[in-house]
Amino acid sequence: MSSQQPAPVFLNLFRIRFPVAAVTSIAHRISGVLLFLFFPFLVWLLDLSLQGPDGYARAIALLQPLWVRMGLALIAWSLLHHLLSGIRFLLIDIGAGVSLRVARRTAWIVNLTGLLLGLACLWWLL
Amino acid sequence: MSGHTHGLRSWLLQRLSGVYLAIYLVYAIASVLQHGSYSYTEWHAWLVQPVMSIATAGFILAMLAHGWVGMRDVILDYVHHLGVRLMLLTLVGLMLVACGLWAVRVLLLAAG
Repeated sequence: MSSQQPAPVFLNLFRIRFPVAAVTSIAHRISGVLLFLFFPFLVWLLDLSLQGPDGYARAIALLQPLWVRMGLALIAWSLLHHLLSGIRFLLIDIGAGVSLRVARRTAWIVNLTGLLLGLACLWWLL
Repeated sequence: MSGHTHGLRSWLLQRLSGVYLAIYLVYAIASVLQHGSYSYTEWHAWLVQPVMSIATAGFILAMLAHGWVGMRDVILDYVHHLGVRLMLLTLVGLMLVACGLWAVRVLLLAAG
């Protein structure tokens, strides 16, 4: 065991190589987990909203607090990023945009578009 | 199915369910945004149209499949302790099944 290379101690997060496509990929996972966690709330809202006019009014009222709207903006970003990166992965699956140059460019486009549209949702929801 | 084809089946299921979820969500969100604010009657009427009810039931089903495969992949990649892994997979499965049954009940009651 002593002949093994020592464990890396170089852990400066700003200097570790982290290609843009890795950001797209990890954000696809993080947004997917957030969407999964949001699913019960979505079903709850659907349930309330279909329980007559009173339930509908309660469902709308639940969406009013500022922190809920900020949470919804996070979910909106999750959905947008997950959708865009999902389409990118599907295209790569069928052989479109596989070259490093194009894959890097589409990764940038996905990350930035998701972020900008997410911020637009935040602005709209606040 | 043998273990050998299992991975391929999940891979395909994840993509097919993803495409369905994308089409449904883009359509549903675009219709809601285009309509603007709904009264309860309008909202209820929109969701209980047979086509919309069936499409929404399909959305729930696709969500269960997609959520299961996705969460399973994430858990298997990051959680290495066998007990914790099994516990998380069980929780994810239970939550998805519970949400699925709940949503189907909501849709059936709304369709009355």
